[in-house]
Amino acid sequence: MIYHIWKKEVESYFSSPLAYVLIGLFSLISGVIFFNLLVTYSDGILAIPAHMAQEISFVDEVVVKLFANINFIFLFFIPLITMKSFSEEKKQQTLDIYWLSSVSEWKLILAKNLAALTLISAMLLLTCVYPLVIWGVGIRDFTILGSSYLSLFLNAAAYIALGIFCSTLTSNQIVAALLAILGVMGMWMITWGGHLHSNYLLAEIFTYLGISSHFERILRGLIGTQDLIYYVSFIFLFNFMAIKSLGKRNW
Amino acid sequence: MDKILVVDSVSKEYPGRAAVKNVSFSVKAGSIHGFLGPNGAGKSTTMKMIAGLLPVSSGRIELFGKPIATQDISKLIGMLPENPPLYLEMTVRGYVEFVAKLHQQTNIQTRVEEVLKDLSLSEVADRIIGNLSKGYKQRVGLAQALVYDAPFIILDEPTNGLDPQSVVELREFIKKLAQKKTILFSSHILSEVEHLCDEITIIHQGEVKASGAMSVIRGAARAGLVIRLGISRDQKLPDLGRFGKVEIKKVSSEEIEDLYELHFEAGKDVRKELSRHLFESGVDILTMTLESPELEDIFLQMTEKV
Repeated sequence: MIYHIWKKEVESYFSSPLAYVLIGLFSLISGVIFFNLLVTYSDGILAIPAHMAQEISFVDEVVVKLFANINFIFLFFIPLITMKSFSEEKKQQTLDIYWLSSVSEWKLILAKNLAALTLISAMLLLTCVYPLVIWGVGIRDFTILGSSYLSLFLNAAAYIALGIFCSTLTSNQIVAALLAILGVMGMWMITWGGHLHSNYLLAEIFTYLGISSHFERILRGLIGTQDLIYYVSFIFLFNFMAIKSLGKRNW
Repeated sequence: MDKILVVDSVSKEYPGRAAVKNVSFSVKAGSIHGFLGPNGAGKSTTMKMIAGLLPVSSGRIELFGKPIATQDISKLIGMLPENPPLYLEMTVRGYVEFVAKLHQQTNIQTRVEEVLKDLSLSEVADRIIGNLSKGYKQRVGLAQALVYDAPFIILDEPTNGLDPQSVVELREFIKKLAQKKTILFSSHILSEVEHLCDEITIIHQGEVKASGAMSVIRGAARAGLVIRLGISRDQKLPDLGRFGKVEIKKVSSEEIEDLYELHFEAGKDVRKELSRHLFESGVDILTMTLESPELEDIFLQMTEKV
């Protein structure tokens, strides 16, 4: 059942021009960023004495920055991908076909999460060209590449859960997208509370609740249990709220 | 089983507003049951409750003898809601197949082709639903309700907004469909219900005004008895006081005949007594017909604003 809905959703993504526009834009922007980072890095290397070149880390200067930038693109692109997942169904009143069959809310939501993840994975797949380019120019420092992709993937899954929840709230796609962008930004901004010096405990809580500290740790290859628990509970929470929000038809 | 669906004292309340109040009616197996009421009367709400799309606030709905809440109705009810739930970016065939899969239909390919053929959708099967005309979209919606072969079909205003040709075709299809299935069919168009349905339920402002076989509804209506009477033009109607309160309306004057419409308040058929009375009074009867009240009159009476 989940498979059928997932397949239908993926086909629906790829039958609309939005998916192609987003994939195209994503490739363009991330390509330009990658090129810029590479140029800046090589200029930096050439500008300093050879014995100090080791000081400039390729990982820090290119890989981490590239993935942080891709994450920033996701902040706007994922809400655009998830905005119609439920709001369009509400507008067209198509959800009835699921409730008339015995498909449950959680199966539907899971299928939609997976479908959006599939589209994001397609985007990420295109970025695999960059490591190939790096390898081609003779840089072999790939230690953190796996964890970098993992961090982006987890972030994407979290944004998708939040975006899908937002789209259950309204039948207006634009409102759903704006809510999701605000929500994701909010999850980033909570981290700023970590700079609160007057209250150590509160600062720690804000740091944990914000998404960026977890993202940055995994990005640099420091995968801790608390980070994985954070993502799992984040995704679970927003999907749970989405189920509840859909269930309010029973009121 | 005689009664497929029993709706018993069902109410639906929203905060500060009762959409459906104490609605009761039943649907006989193999019948087309018309659900009639003006827009906003509570038809769609009631139908959604029957299909399990909305919970009832109070009351009981039984399908095939069991409460709907206690059984899996996904194989029992096929529904075409007022706005057909269509994915406009899908092809007709893809969409109907998708719904069949959701309902875990076996033999999907054969069943889908069968339904597409029945609804004359075969030639547009590979077209995108969004590009089809409204009539076709409505048929795709119907295909969705029929593809998993449920024995009870709910159609919420299926002919609404269609062109006359499509309406006729759809009605013919519904008639054919009734040979195999029980149908609950809502409409605000009286003639449609009158031509299609064996039984009707009239609902207004969330309350059932009448429910039962068409003939019973006609009899129960307080339209009373209407007799159309033609007598010789040179004669006068005698006093009809013995028949209770009678409203006499002269309809027309023909060459040799004056036509009257007599409204008897009592519903009893008094044609025999009337003809004897007229004969004894020396009046020549040229025509006498019993008018059965039109559904429209009954409907207007029942839904008139008090």
